[in-house]
Amino acid sequence: MIYLQGIKKSFNQLPVLKGINLKIEKGEVVTILGPSGSGKTTLLRCLNFLEKPNAGIVQIGNIIVDSEKATKKEMLAIRKQSAMVFQHYNLFAHKTVVENVMEGLIVAKKVKKKDARHQSERVLEKVGLSDKLHHYPSQLSGGQQQRVGIARALALNPEVILFDEPTSALDPELVGDVLSVIKSIAQEGITMVVVTHEMSFAREVSNRVLFMDEGVIVEEGTPLEIFHAAKEERTRRFLQRISGESFFTPLKEQVN
Amino acid sequence: MTIDIPFIWIAFKEIIKALPITLILTIVPLLAGFLIGIGVALVRIYKMKFLYRIANGYVSFFRGTPIIMHIMVIYFGFPLLLDQLSLRFDLGIQTNKIPIILFVLIALTLAAGSYLSEIIRSGIISVSNGQMEAAYSVGMTKFQAMNRIILPQALAQSIPNFTNIFVGFLHTSSIAFLVSQKEVTGAANIVASVNLKFLEAFIAAGIIYWGITILVEGISFLLEKKVTAYNRGGVS
Amino acid sequence: MGKAFDLMLIIEFIPTLIQYLGITLQILAASIILGLVLGIAAAIPRLYKIPILNQLVILYVSFIRGTPILIQLFLVFYGLPAILLLLFSIDITRMEAIYFVIITYAISNGAGFSEIFRAAIRAVDYGQTEAAFSVGMTSRQNFFRIVLPQAVRIAFPNMANSVIGSLKDTSLAFTIGVMDMMGRGDTLIAATAHALEVYLSLSIIYYIIVVMFEKIFSKLEKYFNRYQKADVTAVA
Ligand SMILES: Nc1ncnc2c1ncn2[C@@H]1O[C@H](COP(=O)(O)OP(=O)(O)OP(=O)(O)O)[C@@H](O)[C@H]1O
Ligand SMILES: [Mg+2]
Repeated sequence: MIYLQGIKKSFNQLPVLKGINLKIEKGEVVTILGPSGSGKTTLLRCLNFLEKPNAGIVQIGNIIVDSEKATKKEMLAIRKQSAMVFQHYNLFAHKTVVENVMEGLIVAKKVKKKDARHQSERVLEKVGLSDKLHHYPSQLSGGQQQRVGIARALALNPEVILFDEPTSALDPELVGDVLSVIKSIAQEGITMVVVTHEMSFAREVSNRVLFMDEGVIVEEGTPLEIFHAAKEERTRRFLQRISGESFFTPLKEQVN
Repeated sequence: MTIDIPFIWIAFKEIIKALPITLILTIVPLLAGFLIGIGVALVRIYKMKFLYRIANGYVSFFRGTPIIMHIMVIYFGFPLLLDQLSLRFDLGIQTNKIPIILFVLIALTLAAGSYLSEIIRSGIISVSNGQMEAAYSVGMTKFQAMNRIILPQALAQSIPNFTNIFVGFLHTSSIAFLVSQKEVTGAANIVASVNLKFLEAFIAAGIIYWGITILVEGISFLLEKKVTAYNRGGVS
Repeated sequence: MGKAFDLMLIIEFIPTLIQYLGITLQILAASIILGLVLGIAAAIPRLYKIPILNQLVILYVSFIRGTPILIQLFLVFYGLPAILLLLFSIDITRMEAIYFVIITYAISNGAGFSEIFRAAIRAVDYGQTEAAFSVGMTSRQNFFRIVLPQAVRIAFPNMANSVIGSLKDTSLAFTIGVMDMMGRGDTLIAATAHALEVYLSLSIIYYIIVVMFEKIFSKLEKYFNRYQKADVTAVA
């Protein structure tokens, strides 16, 4: 379970998160939508202390940290509860595919090297990369790299996996592969927080959608509620702008 | 043994008189070496047969041996060679009348040529193929394209490298004092031994080299900003 | 000047001179190892912006970059005994010349290395660090497992150049009386008056060593680059 209370974050006097409260149940898939600069990435990064919030409480699993007095040790403990999939993959450039996945297991989880290799190979099979185990990241396509990124997160078996626009750096024809991998792990009951601009993903996969703007969560609800019956004007305008007309049609079909 | 601080200033005033010779020993080889460098770089890029091997050997050998060797070999070897020629063809050259600085300049020029050719070559290679094709597409010849499109970009990109070479050769010119040239280091050595104040004299010389280096790096920084202005713009 | 040129002597001198190669390599190895330590120590205040130390390192690097190695050699040779005597009443005037050379070259290498390390560490994409944190690594684990190995690859070509430059610079150690290859060459010249041949022999030895170093380094570089795209390494 994840619990955020009163998370505030400013960059050089500019408030980016203005007090975020959020509770996510185990196994929930939450997507975060919102215009550019609304603080989605910052919120995600506050969850694993890649950014240290100025105020507020972060809880993942049984680790509770008050961000105002967070110690290095506490931040590390939170990070060990979570894993992240980055927009630009951020694979370890000097390690092979399988080594990338093993790295966190060996270092953070203290798994024996042999077992780590075993587990990593299993996870890589799941994302369809069994044939690329000994390639270096530079020898892979963007879609393959991102699937390694997902495997790296998945292998740690964390309380939650954080995704920051995992498909937005990909060529359109590679997006499908990566999304279907994310979908399949979502169905395994792993808790996920996903920032994305892929409306179809938000609609089909998530249990809950958050809409953020100007550092606050404006509205939240099930995909149906948000996409079909948003209460807030801001949400409706955003959804209209981002998907034009094309998305209302299939939704109507779904509702009917 | 103590340090005589006021003497540093006295030494400084004396030694700085030798700066013109240091600058000659730096700038002349670099200018002459630049011409060699362009020629050698083009020979190597276009893989002109036969010449290409000589150019490779030249660059590799001169870059692979200490510059003091170049100075010494030419200092001792050139007079020998000239004497032989003079004897055979009855030219009547008197090698002991030739100023030593000439030998030093020749040696440093050959060394500079080898280093500069590498810089120019990598500069040319780094200018994209597309630039050459674009030049052809508007009807330029190979020579025109090289002259008007490729070289200007290559040289502008190489300014930091040229600065390093300049500073390197400024410092290398200090070796000339070993064949009794009265450039900055030579002058410092004289001031040092006459007054038996070695440390103070070399501190003064160090300050002179340091000052020139900082000056040159500053100028290069400004120059680079100006020359590569075309490289910026767009979105950022 | 010397006697008539004798080609055979060049070959004959080589075995005599090469016996002193060990001293040259000792100077090189010692000054590189000490230089590495110094370089790491100097890079830390720069990377972590530790006040005062940071400025001191900037000054140190600027001075070393700004002065010829010959001047640095003389400053250490004349200055170090004076300073040690003045501050700690330690008398090192009888210390062997080779130690002054090693100290100078270590100080000089340290400055160069610190800049190379700093640039290399900063060149590693920050996303790598974030990814390391995201899988639960500590700062230390991130530095040693993720950042450093990649920085080493980035730093390697520059380090290799530094080492080769340093090897060539050892040819100046004889100026303060070190009996290395150059020093032995000097005595050989005094004994035989065949200066040109001696310097040609020395050039050949230096060239062979430099080429060997280059071969080894390029092998190592290939190894370090094994995880880079093929087209990235092929450029060189
Ligand atoms: N490290 C930083 N330093 C200064 N300002 C920052 C930093 N990171 C983010 N910001 C600012 O915080 C605001 C929110 O940024 P954030 O990246 O969270 O937005 P986002 O919702 O993820 O946007 P996008 O959809 O474009 O990714 C922006 O105004 C941004 O300029
Ligand atoms: Mg973002």
